[in-house]
Amino acid sequence: MTTMLVLTILIPLLFAVIVLVRPPEAAKFWALGGTSVCFLLGAMIVGRFFSAAGSSTETMQAVASLEWLPALGLNLSIGVDAIAVLLIALALLLGPICVLASWTAIPTDRARLFFGWLLVLQAAMVGVFAARDLLLFYTCFEFTLLPMFVLINEFGSTNRKRAATKFFLYTFTGSLIALAGLVYAAWAVATRASGADLGPGGFTLDIGVLTQYASAVLTPGEQGLVMAAMLCGFAVKVPLFPFHTWLPLAHTEAPTAGSVLLAGVLLKLGTYAMYRFVLPLTPVAVYEYAPFIGVLAIIGIIYAGLICWVQRDIKKLVAYSSVSHLGFCVLGLFALNTSGITGSVLYMLNHGLSTGALFLLVGFMYERYHTRDMDQIGGLAAKMPVWSFFMVFFVMASVGLPGLNGFVSEFLCTMGAFTSYTPWTTDELNGMVGATWGPLGPWFGVAAGTGVIIAAIYLLYMTSKVVWGTLNEPDGHDDDHSPLPIDLGGREIATLLPLAALCLVFGLFPKQTLIDAVEAPINEQIAFIQQRVTEAPLRDGTLAAEAGSPTSKASASVLNESSNAAGRNVGVKP
Amino acid sequence: MTGITGTILETVLTTAFAVADPAAEAAGHAGAHGGGHGATSGGALMALIPLLPLFGAVLVGVFACFNEKSKLPAYATVGLLAVAFVLTLITYLGWNGHDPIQVRLWDWIGLEWGSGGVGQTLDAGFAFYFDGLSLLWMLFVTGLATLIGLYASEYMEHDAGLGYCRFFGAFNLFVFSMSCLVMGDNLLMLFLGWEGVGLCSYLLIGYYYKKKAAVDAGMKAFVVNRIGDLGLLIGTLLTFTTFGSLEFTELFATIGHGSTASGAPLDATWQVWAIPLLLMMGAFGKSAQLFFYVWLPDAMEGPTPVSALIHAATMVTAGVYLVARMMPLFVADTQLIALSVVTWGGAITAFWAATIAMAQYDIKRIMGYSTISQLGYMFFGLGVLATTGGVFHVFTHAFFKATLFLSCGAVMHGFAGQLDLRKLSGLWKVPGFKIVVIAMLIGCLNLAGFPFTAGYFSKDMILAEAWVTSDSTIWGSSWAGWLMLLTAGLTAYYTFRVFFRVFVGPVEYHPGDDLHDHADDAHGEDHAHDAGQHGDHHADHFHPHAPKWAINLVLVALAGGSVLAAGLYFVGDHHGWAGDMVHASSAHFDPAHIGDHSAAVAGVGDAVAGGESHAGDAHAGDTHAAHGTILGLDPHKYMYYISAIVGFVGIGVAFVLHFAGRTEAATSRADSLARAMEPVHTWAERKWYVDEFYHFIIVTPLKVISHLFHWFDKLVIDGIVELFGGVPKASSESLSPATQTGVLHDYALRMVAGVAVVLVVVAIVLY
Repeated sequence: MTTMLVLTILIPLLFAVIVLVRPPEAAKFWALGGTSVCFLLGAMIVGRFFSAAGSSTETMQAVASLEWLPALGLNLSIGVDAIAVLLIALALLLGPICVLASWTAIPTDRARLFFGWLLVLQAAMVGVFAARDLLLFYTCFEFTLLPMFVLINEFGSTNRKRAATKFFLYTFTGSLIALAGLVYAAWAVATRASGADLGPGGFTLDIGVLTQYASAVLTPGEQGLVMAAMLCGFAVKVPLFPFHTWLPLAHTEAPTAGSVLLAGVLLKLGTYAMYRFVLPLTPVAVYEYAPFIGVLAIIGIIYAGLICWVQRDIKKLVAYSSVSHLGFCVLGLFALNTSGITGSVLYMLNHGLSTGALFLLVGFMYERYHTRDMDQIGGLAAKMPVWSFFMVFFVMASVGLPGLNGFVSEFLCTMGAFTSYTPWTTDELNGMVGATWGPLGPWFGVAAGTGVIIAAIYLLYMTSKVVWGTLNEPDGHDDDHSPLPIDLGGREIATLLPLAALCLVFGLFPKQTLIDAVEAPINEQIAFIQQRVTEAPLRDGTLAAEAGSPTSKASASVLNESSNAAGRNVGVKP
Repeated sequence: MTGITGTILETVLTTAFAVADPAAEAAGHAGAHGGGHGATSGGALMALIPLLPLFGAVLVGVFACFNEKSKLPAYATVGLLAVAFVLTLITYLGWNGHDPIQVRLWDWIGLEWGSGGVGQTLDAGFAFYFDGLSLLWMLFVTGLATLIGLYASEYMEHDAGLGYCRFFGAFNLFVFSMSCLVMGDNLLMLFLGWEGVGLCSYLLIGYYYKKKAAVDAGMKAFVVNRIGDLGLLIGTLLTFTTFGSLEFTELFATIGHGSTASGAPLDATWQVWAIPLLLMMGAFGKSAQLFFYVWLPDAMEGPTPVSALIHAATMVTAGVYLVARMMPLFVADTQLIALSVVTWGGAITAFWAATIAMAQYDIKRIMGYSTISQLGYMFFGLGVLATTGGVFHVFTHAFFKATLFLSCGAVMHGFAGQLDLRKLSGLWKVPGFKIVVIAMLIGCLNLAGFPFTAGYFSKDMILAEAWVTSDSTIWGSSWAGWLMLLTAGLTAYYTFRVFFRVFVGPVEYHPGDDLHDHADDAHGEDHAHDAGQHGDHHADHFHPHAPKWAINLVLVALAGGSVLAAGLYFVGDHHGWAGDMVHASSAHFDPAHIGDHSAAVAGVGDAVAGGESHAGDAHAGDTHAAHGTILGLDPHKYMYYISAIVGFVGIGVAFVLHFAGRTEAATSRADSLARAMEPVHTWAERKWYVDEFYHFIIVTPLKVISHLFHWFDKLVIDGIVELFGGVPKASSESLSPATQTGVLHDYALRMVAGVAVVLVVVAIVLY
């Protein structure tokens, strides 16, 4: 399995080289071959991972490490847990779909450039999720930018240069600050943690070691700064309001495959990194500032949703809907309870499927009509019934219709926020049994719930403009001179069918397919965070765990910076 | 992954096997009679009821892929639905009459945290729950769906092809969703059905998708429903946090103990009234009550069979179902706050909608407003503790309102979409419309509450209880009762206004101007065919298109059903058959103990457990010595006469104003009355300008805010980003001539300065 995991990173790179040296006409076939092989490998990894004994889903599998510069503690190590493996599977599934979706849209003379970078992008994405080492993680994290920059810059529409530059600079600047935070945490572990396995160099970037010790050696004040630094990178990537403005632009200008991968996988790098680093490295700060981040997430849900409603550009609408949807994802994550984080992880997958499919559909439409303006196009149900069927289907998945995948994750995220009470507030709420430990509260759930209405408004507004109504085509449109069939062809349907099938399966059997798979690592993570937070010193010197009375609510949330915890808890295994 | 597939496969196989094996079935029935709560093979049969229409939807989808142009999709649908109906009947006959049957197909959404105890497990199975209430609903849902499917096979025949498949696909999906809603074993399953019927309603209202009005109406229905759904969703979450479960049996057991799951007495909590109010919000959205009703009249843009099935008989009663299902929670509150709101919400809506119905000219819209009004009656019934009456009215209304809609549909089908009552008259004498007119008459008599019709009995059960239940139990219930009595008179008037104008009187008709509201799915040929058949409909020699066998057969069946439904009032041990069904469900409670908390919930607990039968039921207040009176008379005895008189007065006024002395279709004696009542008449005709008001206070401001956000995003938020992006460029441009000296030590110096600045900043931040 380790070999297969490594191969899923190396094979795309190998095929990228092949694409470059073979004639341009062959590029798409090689790309399809490469991504398909990787997809099969991915399917085998998923199968192996979950067919291993039930308990093993809790732990890392396929762990391997390659020493690079041992003196500096720099290794290249990989390994996956259930969450990583599912996200890898998503990336590998979208690979061949993206190649097929770009089959006719990319001019042959430039096909090598496009498909070559697409393959590189795929390798980098898998690398991010497979990394067990900060060095590999960060390298891959940043290396996703380059291929995406090229895809937008070279193959986008009119405003592509500006979009690509903005995308690159905005996310790159943010990530640099995140790197500073991560390195600071690593430095703190190296200098302060006594029991940690630091390796020969006395310094380690191993993610497992860092997450285990960093939260104990960083003071609450430091945790706040480290968290802020990490969020600079990851919140931009998600994107969380108000760091989202690069996204609509990048999505609008990107080619279809770029949009699909951007929405489907690249945005999830942000939420995945939050899950992987922000939560375990700085749990005390997360707990303290979670209401603040929750408010940002809710503003994103409502604000971006309303903006969707007044868009004329259909791609921009779907792009803004991503901002709105990922608000739910972040909200669930910072609810710090099982339903919230499970919902959030499910959201990462489900959003990738449904929004990825919406971008595919918009792309297919754009390829035929060369416009994204909803005032110029409409009533396609009469002309493209198959396209319209899929459009309505994925709109419903996106709206959160129960029975399809979106609902499960949206419900769990909302429920996570709703039931996430601090222990000392439950008294006021009449001893609610369903309440769990966590930093948010019912009002967060209620506010996020309004997003459900807004999503219905803007997505149905889009549907009623584009799918229903009398047929409206741009001036000068001529079906006869298009190489494409009037309605979707077999190739295009083949890209949509697997996504639709997964939307149904994840909507009807979420427990069997996803929840059971991710439950154990998530509960482990929550227990760890909970322990760290309750052990954290408060301003008056007591521990939050001891302060059970309602009066200490205020002091509990304001954590003491002066009580230096540098020596505390070091070496204590959670 | 293989494990997962295995589980699913196993579930499906087990279900299939249990059905296929008669021996297992017999054993299962024995188990059910033994009072077991577990999954029985009766349950396996039951699980097939929703799965058949689901299969139907897939099948119709396959037909669509092959571009099937015959009526095959319709007949397949009708066949499958008929089987589903028969299965419902078998389940009903094999049911022991008190124990709920449960069957779990698979785990749907399940989570566990902490120790996994109460409140630390979320366990919503894809599971079904069958008791009196769900059975009653399922019987008429599957029965009416079969009949209306048959009707639609003829009604929609001009769309044979993709449109036909689209129609019957959504039709099947609707029955599946409705079954999930009614048979759901937990609040999340109910929500699945709830949203599913919303989707189908959206798709079918917008069936004629080339008409902007239809598309807008579909969207309006979905969005307005979603506002209510937010209440339902939050109510569901609050239910979970309070009671630690979403499963009905567990929920009712906890409520039966009169406490939250953590042991706090329910009375002392705010949840005891907050949860019912939130659930009610969802119910009012789906059932078009109070502030939410605006979507239902517009929903009449859909094809008439859809209006009959979804927007009259079944889906819109889902709200009534929800309140009845969650009755234990509603009556757990000793103040009965939520039920008082339900009472007045229903009463005001019933009256309001009736006033609008009186002034409309479109007969289908009149029926739409009438549905809103009748739904108000049902909620009013639940509110004043006449649960049996409310539920029975759901049942009778389903039949007679479907009859009314389908009769209107036959008229619409025959007169090229004409629905204006000023342009149609005397259909009795038009050849081929006799059955339609008779069916219409039966429907109208029921709706108007004519003595000894089913609608008369069910309405009477509700009205009487308004006075039986004291004003102190339900706030002002007798006052609401007077409002409802007045509404009954208005109902009789507007119902017979339609009948006297359109179906009797001098013969006169002007065809409508549309070709069966055609949705031509990219198939020019359909259009051509249609134009050929009806191309001459504006010419003088227009021939009404009389209904054929399918429509007539269905009308006869439904009209017959409406008549026979009255008989159900006289059977059973607890005030009719509906009373028996309610008695064997969670909707049952002992009215003697309302207001006395501990006893009331004890009754609920028994009902859930299917325990011994209680002396009193909702309508059995007369066994108790003292209850309220109407004008000093016993409402249980005299309401029959009072409501009959009110009905006669309404019909009489309609006769005088719209039948007597009328010589042409367009005018009647009511016109001068309407003129005398200006501007009230115009306001009522314009639906009291509620849509315009909503547009003004909600839609427009929201749109303005959205535009503001859009520009704020572009200028301010992105502006700040651009500003940061501009700093390096601007600084390099302004500094470049002076700083690009090319001298190495200049650069080194500046680099050192830069590093120093960074270090200082870091130092400040850290210490």
